[in-house]
Amino acid sequence: MTSAEHSDLRTKQIFTTGEAAEICKLSQQTIIRCFDSGRLRGFRVPGSRFRRIPREGLIRFMRENDIPIDALENTKPRILIVDDDEQIVDLLVDVFKRDQRFEVKTATTGYDAGVLSEQFRPDLMILDYMLPDINGNVVCKTVRENPNLSNMKIIIISGVVNQEEIASLLRAGADEFFKKPFNIEKLLARITELLHL
Amino acid sequence: MPTTTDPAKPQRLELILREIDSLPTLPTIAARVLMLTSSEDSHIREVVDLISADPPLTAKILSLCRRADRGVRGGETLTVEKAVVLLGFTAVRNAVLSIKMFELYGPNASPYEQSGSEEPDRTVPRGQYRFDRTNFWRHSLAVAVASELIAAAHPQLPDLRPSEAFVCGLLHDVGKLALSYVLPKAFSRVIELAELHQTNIAALERRIMGLDHHTVGKRLAEQWQLPQVIQDCIWLHGAPFQTLPSVEHRRVIGLVGLADLVARYQHIGYSGNFTFKDKPEAVAEAMGLRPSVVQSITRELHGRLYEQSQLLGLDEEPSQELFFQSIQQANLALGRLNDMLEARTRAAADQTRILDAINAFHAQTPPNGTLQDVFDALVASAQSVFGQGYYALLYQPLSGTADAKTPSGRQWLMCQYGQRGRPVRTQWVEPPVHSPELSGLDPEQAVSVRLMGVLPWLTDYLLDSQDIRDVQLMPLRCGLGTVALILHDRPILPPWRQLQALTVTWASAIATAAKHDGAKRLSEELADSNRALAEAQDRLLHTQSMARLGEMAAGAAHEMNNPLAVISGRAQLLSMALPPGSKEHKAAQVIFEQSHRLSDLITLLRMFADPPRPQKKATDLSALLDATVKRVQAGLARPEQAKAITLKIKDQLPPATIDPLQIGDAIAELLLNAIQSSPKSSVHVTAQRDESVPGVVVQVSDDGQGMDPHTLSHATDPFFSAQPAGRRVGMGLARVERFAAAHGGKLELRSTPGVGTVATLTIPLDS
Repeated sequence: MTSAEHSDLRTKQIFTTGEAAEICKLSQQTIIRCFDSGRLRGFRVPGSRFRRIPREGLIRFMRENDIPIDALENTKPRILIVDDDEQIVDLLVDVFKRDQRFEVKTATTGYDAGVLSEQFRPDLMILDYMLPDINGNVVCKTVRENPNLSNMKIIIISGVVNQEEIASLLRAGADEFFKKPFNIEKLLARITELLHL
Repeated sequence: MPTTTDPAKPQRLELILREIDSLPTLPTIAARVLMLTSSEDSHIREVVDLISADPPLTAKILSLCRRADRGVRGGETLTVEKAVVLLGFTAVRNAVLSIKMFELYGPNASPYEQSGSEEPDRTVPRGQYRFDRTNFWRHSLAVAVASELIAAAHPQLPDLRPSEAFVCGLLHDVGKLALSYVLPKAFSRVIELAELHQTNIAALERRIMGLDHHTVGKRLAEQWQLPQVIQDCIWLHGAPFQTLPSVEHRRVIGLVGLADLVARYQHIGYSGNFTFKDKPEAVAEAMGLRPSVVQSITRELHGRLYEQSQLLGLDEEPSQELFFQSIQQANLALGRLNDMLEARTRAAADQTRILDAINAFHAQTPPNGTLQDVFDALVASAQSVFGQGYYALLYQPLSGTADAKTPSGRQWLMCQYGQRGRPVRTQWVEPPVHSPELSGLDPEQAVSVRLMGVLPWLTDYLLDSQDIRDVQLMPLRCGLGTVALILHDRPILPPWRQLQALTVTWASAIATAAKHDGAKRLSEELADSNRALAEAQDRLLHTQSMARLGEMAAGAAHEMNNPLAVISGRAQLLSMALPPGSKEHKAAQVIFEQSHRLSDLITLLRMFADPPRPQKKATDLSALLDATVKRVQAGLARPEQAKAITLKIKDQLPPATIDPLQIGDAIAELLLNAIQSSPKSSVHVTAQRDESVPGVVVQVSDDGQGMDPHTLSHATDPFFSAQPAGRRVGMGLARVERFAAAHGGKLELRSTPGVGTVATLTIPLDS
């Protein structure tokens, strides 16, 4: 298994029976049998007989059967940092590096943020409100309108505090707002909370 | 009265001139004598022959000679030749001329009857104003004699020859004779008018007949082919010397004019002229003659004139009688003049009275006075001129000047005054629906008309003591029409002609005051709106500077909070890496804290410039106050500071609709401010209702160091601090003021250095 495939498995939310077999180190036939017997919960693709297993169902199955879930569990939560100020980006990268729990990618524009959201499938995005090309609320809205990214958490950070703006950001789909300068510990605590870590 | 604009004038002139052409020519003998000069013996011979050929003339010359008493002894036979020798050539020549002219045009002459021509009715109308030919001749003769005398008195002037001067003087007014023959009726009308108006005849001649005796006389002289000098004397003797053309015999013409003046001054004969432009002495001086000559010749004039009259048989009056007659005439003229003067003096006295009244009125009218001031002064003035009595003024405000005092533009202001000029009643009166505007009251109406006939409805408004039948009305008019009306009960007023100056003055004063009132009102309104504008500008400026500050703070928040976030974050990372308790760890902590403090400042500044809208909700103020005091107390470093704060809520505070966060912060700021002033003993917080707002008044008073006026006036400026650097952020009071303003409330500060400060925060219950 290539690292790219591995990475792909870690970001995946829905698995085929073949992929599930590989993750669980079982034969595909065993997976199919467990699926059909209901021990592995999943669904069939509408209009066909293809079986599909959601990530949660697979993890529960593995835990119930004492199958090591390293292949899934070891995948760190992915965080995308979006800020046009490189110093801020560097700071946050250092913060998460020190924390070691997260896999981090960075972007300095709204456009890059959009591209990376699709590729990297972050679990959480730290988004500066004032970007050179696009404002935070628009990014929020775009993300929320994309079903593939519906689970992604968004924390907005901004140097400008305006209660009305914050309220509108939260309405646009942001999960949290932090004012710059922010307390690292509080930020980490909130991230942990949002990602159920 | 006919004037020179008569369209038929040219024809008429032509007619008159034709008539003159048809006048009988100068008698041959006179014409011949006139041509002769004394330079040649042959001429003397000719004169003797001419005289001898005319027996009556011979008799007269000889009689003249005897009277002259030039060495003629009794019984001695006098011949014409001898007489010529005795009298001299020129004297004889002049005598001949005079006699012949007199025969022709004298009182008894009737040239038309002699010539037998058929002429229209030329009979001079019976009546007072006949052309007095006897007196006319007497005048002509007097001018001739005077001319001769003046010329003789100036032997050094070769251009003045006495004999020539005599002839010129004798004939100078021959034009009048001609006019009296050609147009007897018109000419007698001219004489009548000249006498009536006491003016000079030439102007009237021109006005009535189209030409004067100067022009007619010149035409006649031309026809008679008289020498040029005589023609010019006839034509120009009435003109001032200065205006005469510069001909050789200019001075002779002037001389005749002077002689004419002398004769008229002596009231000798009749000239038709009644006024004197100049004194003879002045005329003499203008001509370069000695002024004293006038006096000297006047003395001689009467005697010489008598002689000449005798010669001509003009009358038999001795010179003394002639003199008396002259005096009589002079007296008559003087009397007429006196009458005229007296009439003028009377008019002048009246005018002076009016003028004095105008002056007094101006003096009494205060400069820039109101309309009422002018009314009062006007009535005082009227009383001084017309006498004491009832007076009232009616005034209608000019349309367009909407006066707050008058409910409708149609109303008139009526000010009534009692006997002593005391204002008794001032009221607005309402004219009946269809009555005209005051300014439209017919300005051609008489000076004073009965009020009854014009504005009978005013009777309702008159003072009780006043009977409308006694009240008269006088319009006050100026260029703007009728400005106001005076009502009065004076039965007799000065003549209108003299009153007009006064009433126009009054009217102008009212119009001026009305305009002034209007201008004053306008300028007051202007000042008001200027003030309002200035205030609005101030507010705008304040708002603008706040808006700019807000923009700047927003920009600063963005630009500064990013680096602050880096500083804060790096410091925090650093402190995590450093061993707890170490110096470095502590330093990193401080860096972290200070970066946040800086960020808070930026936030405050931004909130100050662009405060968030209050999130109002029903709030229990008592609870809020209590909680706030406790919160502040908890945050204080020293326990005695917390103890110093006491809260006293005087009334049951009603629920208020406010933003509890903002108001709570405001009260907290006031408390912190009080604590920072180092109170000696206490910080009192009181709260009570204020029904006038209605609202709640929270007062925070301390007995701390207080503020001087400079500090006090800047206490609510952001970042202002009277303290040395390093104390708490100077935004507190500025925030309080902003929060109070956002709730429609206000913050007032009173402070005395060394005594303490009282901060009063007024919050409306519901803004």
